Amino acid sequence: MVAKELESQTYNLEIVKWFAVCAVIYLVVGALVGDFIAWQLAFPSLNFDPHLSFGRLRPLHTNDVIFAFGGCTLMATAFYIVQRTCEVPLWSNKLAWFTFWGWNAIIVSAVVSFPMGWTQGKEYAELEWPIDIAIAVVWLSYMGNFIMTIANRRTSHIYVANWFFLGMMIMITYLHVVNSLAVPVTMTKSYSIFSGVQDAMIQWWWGHNAVGFFLTAGFLGIMYYFIPKQVNLPIFSYRLSVLHFWALMFGYVWLGAHHLQYTALPDWAGSLGAAVSIAMIIPSWGGAINGLMTLSGAWNKLRDDYVLRFMVVSLAFYAMSTFEGPVMSVKTVNALSHYTDWTIGHVHSGALGWVAMVSIGAIYHLLTRLWNTKIHSESLVNTHFWIHTIGTVFYVCAMWVSGIMQGLMWRATDDYGNLTYTFAESVAAMHPYYVLRSVGGLLVLAGALIMLYNVVMTIRGAGRSAARA
Amino acid sequence: MGGVDMAKQNKPQHASDTGHEWDGIRELTNPPPRWWMISLHASWIWCVVYFILYPSIPLLHDSTKGILGWTMIKEYKEAVAENDAIKQPYLKKIASMSGQQILGDPGMRNFAESSAKAIFGDNCAACHGAGGQGAPGLFPVLADDDWLYGGDFDTLVETITNGRQSIMPAHQGTLDDATINKLADFVLAASQGKATPEQFALFNQSGCSGCHGENAKGGAINKLGTGAANLTDAIWRFGGSREEVLRTIRYGVNQEGPNTRVAIMPAFGGKLNPETIKMLAVKVHEFGGGQ
Repeated sequence: MVAKELESQTYNLEIVKWFAVCAVIYLVVGALVGDFIAWQLAFPSLNFDPHLSFGRLRPLHTNDVIFAFGGCTLMATAFYIVQRTCEVPLWSNKLAWFTFWGWNAIIVSAVVSFPMGWTQGKEYAELEWPIDIAIAVVWLSYMGNFIMTIANRRTSHIYVANWFFLGMMIMITYLHVVNSLAVPVTMTKSYSIFSGVQDAMIQWWWGHNAVGFFLTAGFLGIMYYFIPKQVNLPIFSYRLSVLHFWALMFGYVWLGAHHLQYTALPDWAGSLGAAVSIAMIIPSWGGAINGLMTLSGAWNKLRDDYVLRFMVVSLAFYAMSTFEGPVMSVKTVNALSHYTDWTIGHVHSGALGWVAMVSIGAIYHLLTRLWNTKIHSESLVNTHFWIHTIGTVFYVCAMWVSGIMQGLMWRATDDYGNLTYTFAESVAAMHPYYVLRSVGGLLVLAGALIMLYNVVMTIRGAGRSAARA
Repeated sequence: MGGVDMAKQNKPQHASDTGHEWDGIRELTNPPPRWWMISLHASWIWCVVYFILYPSIPLLHDSTKGILGWTMIKEYKEAVAENDAIKQPYLKKIASMSGQQILGDPGMRNFAESSAKAIFGDNCAACHGAGGQGAPGLFPVLADDDWLYGGDFDTLVETITNGRQSIMPAHQGTLDDATINKLADFVLAASQGKATPEQFALFNQSGCSGCHGENAKGGAINKLGTGAANLTDAIWRFGGSREEVLRTIRYGVNQEGPNTRVAIMPAFGGKLNPETIKMLAVKVHEFGGGQ
């Protein structure tokens, strides 16, 4: 026990602190840009051509929330969890700081790239080739450090959270490298080595797995550590964790094709993607069930543990969106939902409901452990919880209504078999929902700002009490 | 599910752990819920069933076909055929009917207007407005009875099929500035019906009447095919302020230089079939200004 205590003194918690603070800052930036482009869709006069137009800011939003906010959260939590559950410090502190500065340099280059219009035009993989190479290098530094720390572990077995992180790291390396293969023309322009429908298929093989591995497997790793720690209860079922882990690892990579049904993609590829998508509902729910069942008998804790509220609601959203997605991939539903706002609503129920909420919960938890203090204001955590939840519900409901309406308007025919609506009429019909969505986004942004304030005040408070001691 | 299992499921925290501990976290040996296990097996069985029903497995040169015989192109064609079954009889009739016949037959007119609604919205409304209201100074109004090329059915079909490109010469250089200013005075006066005979004389001497006609009533009357505007009404193609009128006279329409007026309507003959163009002509005619 004494040895363990001494060991913990040598854990590199500094790197975790920096990544965690960056994550909160990038959450604010991502929500700000996201809400601004939501208003741009509702009121097109807010587009300032060319640098601040929707087309250039949208990838800034998506890359910020996925790779800056999501990435920093994954790096903070993975480095924290791997040290604590392997009972050894990080393999290399130097490499960890390389990962930190490298990743942030990539984020800064994205902030410059997108308004300048430098893009590969691949969704969630827009950054040009020099930055893609940098991503691969920095990502490998993250993975290498993580693997070597596991290799040095004192514990006999590897904890489940680390399986998920490792699965994510391996798959993202492979997906990112293959999808980014391109022939450079200039420093800011390149052409994909794939063409036509193959390029589209590779892109969505990456696109769906950015969701499946980066935004799901990694965050399940977060869930598997922070929920049992926050409630101080054991994980419900080891066997369940093994089964749903392997089912997700084997199943997820097949889903990309469901993004390309009713296109030039061959029939078989679309069907295959759709069938496996449906088969992923139960493995996904395995994670949600294991998290929720861990809490059984301790539900009363939700009454005053606001951090736990974030985690529990995140699992509810996770279960909901992993049901919704497969349903949307079924041919009949896909024919209606594809290209509509329903997809945007689905993504945000996963992004705001699942990824953001489990991350926010984990960061609030980390705050107390890393700075060894109490959160500046528990009631502000509660305010953040409600404002974020309500904002997410506003957003998702607005997009459900507008997406289904869009799909129905596009296909509506009159008694003569003629299209009932023009495209422009469907655009006009979206307006009220775009406004509602923007209001939902504003609530999420307000919540993120409250969190930033609370984090800053907590760290300042910890600094003061440390000085007194 | 046995009684003991039930008890465990209800009080999962009472199960024993795996004997490992990581940073204080233990894992229990509870089995996954029975319904979850059944559903997990159902999931892969679902895949097998789906693979049998639909084309799903890639082969060397092709793929399995699936016993339902489904393909996306077949589904698309069936959906199109369903609508075509209703439309085809009408479209056949449209092909053989003249404009006057279509306009005179309420059933056919309704069909044509229903068809043209979305087609107009998706192809024409971007310039001419959803209700044919045009855009001041940029794109002509279709919902009035002022026509540059004529508003009868056949002319409308001709305009949509082949497009239109107006021509007005630039007069900067061919006329002196004083004359250009006097002509602008005339145009402004004529639009209010107040032009004097002296002004009309200058208008004729300067060569304007060659296109706009001696009475300045424009191309719709004299059928010159240049799309010359009627100058005696208060409807303006490019704006009716003195400044705008001067610009039009000085720099012309579709001429060289940055100040000339641009007035080009693309041809839709290669994009839309003749029946569709006829139906669009019905819609434009019915905006209220058809002749």
